[in-house]
Amino acid sequence: MKLRLLFILGWLSIAIIPLSLFAQNKIITGQVTANNDQPVAGATISIKNSTHSVASDAQGRFSISGPQNAVLIITATGYKTQTIKVENDEALQVKLTEDVARLDEVIVTGLATSIKRENLANAVASISANELEGTAPAQTFDAALEGKIPGAYINANSGAPGGGISIKLRGVTSVYGNTQPLYVVDGVFVDNTATSGGLNVVTSALANGATTSNQDNPSSRIADLNAEDIENIEILKGASAAAIYGSKAAGGVVIITTKRGKPGKTKITFSQDIGFITASKLLGVRTFTADRAASLSRDSATSAALRQQFIDAQSKGQIYDYEKELYGNTGFARNTFLGISGGNDNTTVYFSVALKDEGGIVKRTGYNNTSFRLNVDHRVNDNIKIGISTNYINSSADRGLFGNDNAGVTTGIALSSTPSFAQLHPDANGNYPNDPFAASNPLQTVALMRNNESVNRFITGANLEAILQKSGTSTTKFIGRGGIDFYNLQTSVLFPGTLQFQAVNKGTSIQGFTKNLSTNYILSLVNTFTPSDKISFTTSGGITQETGDYNNLLNVATQIIAGQSNVDQAGALNATQLRTKYLNGGIFLQEEANIIDAITLTAGVRFDRSSNNGDVAKYYTYPKAGISWNLTNMGIFKGDFFENIKLRAAYGQANNIPAYGSKFTSLVVSNITGFPGLIVNTQEGKANIKPERQTEFETGIDFSVLKGRLSFELTYYNKTIDDFLMLTNLAASSGYSTEWLNAGNLRNRGVELGMNARPVQSRTITWNTSVNFWLNRSLVTKFIIPPVPQGSFGYVLGSFQIQQGKSATQIVGLNGQGVGVLGDAEPKFQMSTYNEITFFNKLSLRFLLHWKYGGQNINLTTLENDFGQTSKNFDQVTNKLGVPDGIYRIMQVGSDAHEFVQTSSYLKLREIGLYYSFTKLPGSLVKSIQVGVSLNNYLTITKYNSYDPEVSNFGTGFSSGVDVDPYPASKRANFHVSFDF
Amino acid sequence: MQKNINIPTVLLLSMILFFTSCKKDYGNLNNATVESFLKDASQSELNNLVSGTESGMRNVLNLYLDDIGILGREGYHFSSSEPRYVTDLLGASDATLSGSNFYIANPWAARYRVIKNCNILIQAATNSTHITAAQKNGYVGFARTIKAYQLLMNLNLTDSNGIRIDVTDPNHLGPIVNYDDGLTAIASLLDSAKTDFSSASISFTLAGFNGFDDAAGLIKFNRALAARVSIYQQKWQTALDDLTESFFGLNTGFNVGVYNVFGTGSGDQLNPMFIPQNQTGEVRLAHPSYAADIEAGDDRISKATLRNATASLSGLSSNRDVWVYTSATAPIPIIRNEELILIYAEANIQLNNLNEGVKAINVIRNGHGLTDYNGSVTQPALITEMLKQRRYSLFFEGHRWIDLRRYHLLNTLPLDRPGDNVWSEFPLPVTEQ
Repeated sequence: MKLRLLFILGWLSIAIIPLSLFAQNKIITGQVTANNDQPVAGATISIKNSTHSVASDAQGRFSISGPQNAVLIITATGYKTQTIKVENDEALQVKLTEDVARLDEVIVTGLATSIKRENLANAVASISANELEGTAPAQTFDAALEGKIPGAYINANSGAPGGGISIKLRGVTSVYGNTQPLYVVDGVFVDNTATSGGLNVVTSALANGATTSNQDNPSSRIADLNAEDIENIEILKGASAAAIYGSKAAGGVVIITTKRGKPGKTKITFSQDIGFITASKLLGVRTFTADRAASLSRDSATSAALRQQFIDAQSKGQIYDYEKELYGNTGFARNTFLGISGGNDNTTVYFSVALKDEGGIVKRTGYNNTSFRLNVDHRVNDNIKIGISTNYINSSADRGLFGNDNAGVTTGIALSSTPSFAQLHPDANGNYPNDPFAASNPLQTVALMRNNESVNRFITGANLEAILQKSGTSTTKFIGRGGIDFYNLQTSVLFPGTLQFQAVNKGTSIQGFTKNLSTNYILSLVNTFTPSDKISFTTSGGITQETGDYNNLLNVATQIIAGQSNVDQAGALNATQLRTKYLNGGIFLQEEANIIDAITLTAGVRFDRSSNNGDVAKYYTYPKAGISWNLTNMGIFKGDFFENIKLRAAYGQANNIPAYGSKFTSLVVSNITGFPGLIVNTQEGKANIKPERQTEFETGIDFSVLKGRLSFELTYYNKTIDDFLMLTNLAASSGYSTEWLNAGNLRNRGVELGMNARPVQSRTITWNTSVNFWLNRSLVTKFIIPPVPQGSFGYVLGSFQIQQGKSATQIVGLNGQGVGVLGDAEPKFQMSTYNEITFFNKLSLRFLLHWKYGGQNINLTTLENDFGQTSKNFDQVTNKLGVPDGIYRIMQVGSDAHEFVQTSSYLKLREIGLYYSFTKLPGSLVKSIQVGVSLNNYLTITKYNSYDPEVSNFGTGFSSGVDVDPYPASKRANFHVSFDF
Repeated sequence: MQKNINIPTVLLLSMILFFTSCKKDYGNLNNATVESFLKDASQSELNNLVSGTESGMRNVLNLYLDDIGILGREGYHFSSSEPRYVTDLLGASDATLSGSNFYIANPWAARYRVIKNCNILIQAATNSTHITAAQKNGYVGFARTIKAYQLLMNLNLTDSNGIRIDVTDPNHLGPIVNYDDGLTAIASLLDSAKTDFSSASISFTLAGFNGFDDAAGLIKFNRALAARVSIYQQKWQTALDDLTESFFGLNTGFNVGVYNVFGTGSGDQLNPMFIPQNQTGEVRLAHPSYAADIEAGDDRISKATLRNATASLSGLSSNRDVWVYTSATAPIPIIRNEELILIYAEANIQLNNLNEGVKAINVIRNGHGLTDYNGSVTQPALITEMLKQRRYSLFFEGHRWIDLRRYHLLNTLPLDRPGDNVWSEFPLPVTEQ
């Protein structure tokens, strides 16, 4: 490998040295202003065909050295790009016009190339820093995406601190394969593996004796990223845009660009947030009476004892609302950020430190994150530019014990069977009584247990751009990008022996150590050939490689010595280790042609192979093509009404590689009294496994009217997934329960409608608004095995089921007569609107509304409360049988599952923030101060009967929307103050 | 221009040539694979499969015992998180047993997983060049015996819905066979295993086979299982013949036998049937009729100890814990002499050797603090007495529901709530239908 790098460097130096002899000629100065003559600070002024660029200062002024007859390109976020040919030595006055439709936004379309939105063939969603973080910041980066991506169905897995989110772009793209997008941060493919802490050991949520399950509710690793460092996010939603990412792009690609230094005076930003986190909603508890207490048992002696217990508790005033005690904590949040940006013509630096420390709505839970970032860009000469991004993250999340459980130990499950007259509080010596109504005392569990995830992570990327050849009509660049993402994750779970449910195990300590190293690089050559100003070609080609090496060691110690958590301080120890490793290699070629800035044609192909495939040597081919036809630039539409009209269509393929180890039938360790045993795994290997292949076609029309103040983007897509991978259930008599199988085809079709507008624009008030509407419908078009329930609780309580001719996300179950369709996890449609209203350029009101209409969850939270006879409306009588509703709902179990498959429509005021900027300040030290207040997830309108309709307790896979006593969702109120120096 | 483009082109080509030559197959980093064992397994690898087989027999055993115990109204399993123990299994409010649910899918799959391991063991032993023919017979005999036992457990659950016997090729599974054909196949599998053992040398160690871990001992174990199958087949004389070759003895102790054993070592399992006394939430309780129907002085009342407080759920309640498995490492019997004595009694009663039957019943009665049987010495009366002794002697060892089904007496079981049902069999798991 080293030799190869040397070889490349050798070639580079031969290629570059002759070109680095260009001379510089003159200094160009000028000022950038907006239409209303306000200066535009931070605009980027760059010289065409050069690596050279500067930024404008607070007065909009700039100065840049460049050759005679230089062509300047002036870009600034929210404004149209201007290209100016410098013809004389006078100071330039550059007037930028605002770009509501974001036509001039530059979108990354290739691995090394980008294109203006105006010429883009795809509907690529982008999220600016302000939209991401500027309204009402969420706890973690992943939560900040909610409601902001048209075409996405996003669900928080639970409300537990530290994040954990499922994102499905344009429908389900895989059933049991990876459904989550690829995250690329400054060219580094960032790992997003969810690592279980081994909670299944105590919860038995997956009742097969395994140490881990998909119900252990781990956080997402993508949550580690600090949102304040992010400049911009682009979302490639399907293969037509993402094909060039090949085997990792099937779930879409989220391209994250972090902030970089700008030349000029050093800018320092310091901000401090203080906030309060409280539960969004509590369900309430049943009001007990002596009769109701007595009715908890049919045994006459027990019933009498319960009655007495209630009367005693009542007379002593010891009736408690345990839900409020458990979930009623107010978490205090503080978030401190320091950002420094600056540099000179050759070298720019961005440095940031962010410290976050937040409590949870359950005591002894919370999240903290410390992040350092250093981004350095250096221009070696006119032809060579190097960029380095480094990010160190230390995060720690205390997530509590929540969710599904077959042992009665999680907080929610224990709470569900604990009536208000139970006595759970500790005595004077701090000893907790056993909860006679549950397998655990939830107050004791919360007070004594620990479930911590802590991460030390280092992400670093490098970017080298070298102009190899330059002539009047042709420029050839070498672009090399790559990086590493390394983290150590420690999961530390401790259940002391004094806990009620540790009577058998006498203390359990589960210590997990995970090391992950991901690397990737892209080496490419990009040639831009402009034979005339009417036509230009961009040709790129290169190679890519991605590797991953994941190693997880999980130790489960039981019979632990009191007060100790080290795994050797125990009477019994079980260890499991899981390693995965892959290497994907690809070759790509892409050609983009632009004719009179009106027709853009793109064609590309990627060849990919992976060590996870059955045939490791075989290259799979993934083509893509796109066309955009800008009718106004073409001159077809004249006149003032249409500012811009574009028709576009794109096609592409991507794939999803099989999970590591799908090829093999393993023999797993199963020891008996010291004899090492091997037993065949329940998953059968598939030697000839193939990746699943996604083909997407999308087409649309974009237009803007009223001088660009109102713009629309309409998109239709058809995405098919062929040979989708299923971890299918085998006839259990084969000895295996599952095998990977390329089991069929499915299809997603949908529309995305977007509108950007500036309804009000005056010197005093500006109102920017964007409205998005999107929907998706899926259909299983081919399925070669008989339909079987998937990934939930079976027909009795509602289950997913892949079935030919049906929606891929249908929920089936008992319907009173037999088995029928009860719902679908896919929403009927979603809508969101983001608004920013600015008064006098000083006071800014921003808010984000998100409406999800339709779609069902499998909700067992209420059922659990009914079983425990503690649900708030247990005694209400609204059913046809005239029995208490709680009883009625229990009677449905086993005959009708409608009660548990519930519509989870909601309207959420996700974010609202009000900010005021002070810009005219005495003294010269502080340039501006911004103060603000914000509310996050404060208002949810829903009929859904649980803590939050947005839930997915079974993690990021296919089975979203399962609700079993999760960590309840929270809302946040924040105060912000930020200083610019 | 031509000259300028050459450099990049050469560069691109050399990149492709040099970097894309990396082609990797990492193999399986986490586990041994079946594929490698089937090639030419060593003796220690075969022994790993034997231990894995013995270990795997314990998987999901709690659900098997719960299924039979709850359907046969031996007891309840209250779980605050799993309602189906008290709904589906007891047939509450029109609830029915579903083939997609854990109570049949999980035990069924666990047994067939062990059968798969046995089949891999047979194939690996056959392909191995590192062992003698006699050693091979030992491995094959063990694998066949365990296969038969595991098949029988599944047939016990699904009864007339049948089981699949031929499961060697996962892609071409044999047909589902009915109850009688299932028993015939199981019996002949046991017979061929006995033949294997007759010329076998045992080169593996077993954990729960104390005293039965050589070829002679394994034959005794094999015949004990055969005796159980014979009474299911109502081949009473064959049952007596099987018993003579087994470890049966009227005076050799009730607990002599072969067990599933548990341990706290790494990778080992704890007894999943163990729940401490007086727990709340997750509890296993004796059905109230257990104590109600027991004769005074019967020491088997100690298998259902009185609780501090009655536990109740969904209209069911009991004040006694199931206390058969009294520690986390207590063994669970596969087959033991007390059952063989009762098989001896049953076969003799059925063959009208009533006095021999009474003699065996009295061994059981006297062994549990009761006086000799003094009821009428008729076949029906003795069958009732024999079933009663089986109920108390084999409490929560997975028998009563099957026994009542054999004698068409499931309708005599108590129904605790209006609308409850007694099921006679489990449906096949959906994956088999």
